[in-house]
Amino acid sequence: MNAARVLALTSRIIRQIGRDRRTLALVFLVPLLVMSVLYVVLTESSGGVPTLALVRPTGAGSNALNGLIDRLLTPTSRLKIMTIAANEVEGVLNKGEADAALIFPADLATQLERGEHPKLQLVLEGSDPAVAATMRESVTALVRQLDVALAQAQSRASQSQGAGQTPPSAAQATSLLTLAEPRYLHGGPDYTANDALAPVFIGVFSFFFVFLLTSVAFLRERSQGTIERVLASPLSRAELVMGYVCGFTLFALVQAIVVLLFVIFILRVHYQGNLGLVFLVAILLTVSGVNLGIFLSTFAQNEFQIIQFIPLVFGLQVLLSGIFWPVGQLPVWLQPISYLLPLTYANEALRAVMLKGGDFGQIAPQLAALLVFMVLMIGLSALTVRRQVA
Amino acid sequence: MAEDSRKAPASLGEIESEPLVLCEDLVKVFGKRRVLDGLNLKIGAGETFGLVGPNGSGKTTLMRILAGLVRPTAGHVRVLGRRLPDPLVAASLGYMTQLSALYLDLTARENLRFFCSIYGLRGQERERRITEILARVELSAEADRVVATFSGGMRQRLSLACALVHRPRLALLDEPTVGVDPELRRAFWDYFAQLNREGTTIIVSTHHLDEAARCSRLGLLRFGKLLACGTPQELLAGAGASDMETAFLYYAARGRQEEVTA
Repeated sequence: MNAARVLALTSRIIRQIGRDRRTLALVFLVPLLVMSVLYVVLTESSGGVPTLALVRPTGAGSNALNGLIDRLLTPTSRLKIMTIAANEVEGVLNKGEADAALIFPADLATQLERGEHPKLQLVLEGSDPAVAATMRESVTALVRQLDVALAQAQSRASQSQGAGQTPPSAAQATSLLTLAEPRYLHGGPDYTANDALAPVFIGVFSFFFVFLLTSVAFLRERSQGTIERVLASPLSRAELVMGYVCGFTLFALVQAIVVLLFVIFILRVHYQGNLGLVFLVAILLTVSGVNLGIFLSTFAQNEFQIIQFIPLVFGLQVLLSGIFWPVGQLPVWLQPISYLLPLTYANEALRAVMLKGGDFGQIAPQLAALLVFMVLMIGLSALTVRRQVA
Repeated sequence: MAEDSRKAPASLGEIESEPLVLCEDLVKVFGKRRVLDGLNLKIGAGETFGLVGPNGSGKTTLMRILAGLVRPTAGHVRVLGRRLPDPLVAASLGYMTQLSALYLDLTARENLRFFCSIYGLRGQERERRITEILARVELSAEADRVVATFSGGMRQRLSLACALVHRPRLALLDEPTVGVDPELRRAFWDYFAQLNREGTTIIVSTHHLDEAARCSRLGLLRFGKLLACGTPQELLAGAGASDMETAFLYYAARGRQEEVTA
């Protein structure tokens, strides 16, 4: 591998794309336009039934209370319910097994007997703002119902015991339980659907544009016959692929910066976490995109046929990579396909970094998956470059 | 073949006994078509070798094999004493494709710069060569114009410049004068002669028979076989003809006869 020759190719590509003003404008402006439109259009709709994890009271006299809770929850089809231990809350939420957890004090029965106001805590996973909002609403309603039921039970109990005790005042009766301000594991109450969508745009745009540009550039190289000349020169196939990768990765990174700045400063999307990791994901995706472009361009005779690859490469990934609907909520038979798409892993990694402040260790599995895709794509494109001339 | 790969680059093709280009029983099959059918050819250093033949006779395929782009189905080929593909051979080769293969969205100078760079030329030396060759193909005034605005003849001149700017030892020129007006064709051939005097071996394909006379030797190609090979004078004498066209038709007819009797 000769750096000077790779550089020659890289700078040629930069020059060619740089001269094409319209392409340049599209690369940088289309993402902004699409994001702006989505920002306006996006409604906070949620798909599927969210899951609430309960940390139940366990102390003396809890059986009756748990029975009451279950009676109240059974008619609600808006929530799926599971029971967990107090120390499992963060684990269950982070693994995505539940979207929120409602924690009852272990000694709820005792506290009620003493006439205290037991405090319930709602913990929200929070990275999907739509789900978090529904959860807050449902749980608040649920606690209010429980409160009323408990008050009724207490007043019945005091009536049957006779006039030995003063009946609880009306004010006390309606506020036996208090629901503390919900705690967010990620995000916060002011997170919107855009906060959840913004990270994935970086992945979508850096993959898609680079794929499109490379496949057309490579197709032209073939139809103009310049590939013959290049391959007859001392430039090796590896250097050819490398030159393309360097040239287009540069544009993809500039694009990622533009998208990121727009998202943070114009759309004012919340973000935390390491920007370096965001770019690392963008680079891995870009290299995959360049090589997929080289690979698929060999199956196209002209630009029109390249356009026909778009639904395949872009459409499929947008629908199945968890951008709008979490992969876990897709039909079971579609989910394996999601895990064959690089964008699925990029989305998971970008969301983890930007919404949850995830570090390298936390997104290592996704990065590894992206790396595997990248190597696979390089292998495919290297194979096709050989095939082009044979 | 093994001993060839051990030879130092300095000795590339400079051994007297080894011709610059050597083809033995070369066969290339594309699908069912036998494009090259047992071709034998030796071309020595310093020649201007003309490959003459009608369209589809295998000229371009032979060029592409010599450029290391295509592997023959059978037979041996050696260029500059080495088996192909070989990066050292590639570095001393200039290849002008039949299409004027250029980057249309770059200027003439940028095209030349790119091809210089992938042949390892850089800095002032590169710029000097570019200026020199632009003057030679008379494109100095248009050097900074985007190639998409060039006429066919200008593109053809730039294409030639791109193949020669790194001063190859062997120039493979695939129909360089196709679609070129008579005046420019003459200029091209004057340039080839000059290059040849400067030590470049040239293999040039054409189906303009009048150009054949300017070659040091000719190979008449038809149906993937070499019908005849020799200096223009030898070929004319062998056919008892006074012009190349008659000579070519004579050899073509003889080739068909041999096919029938075989």
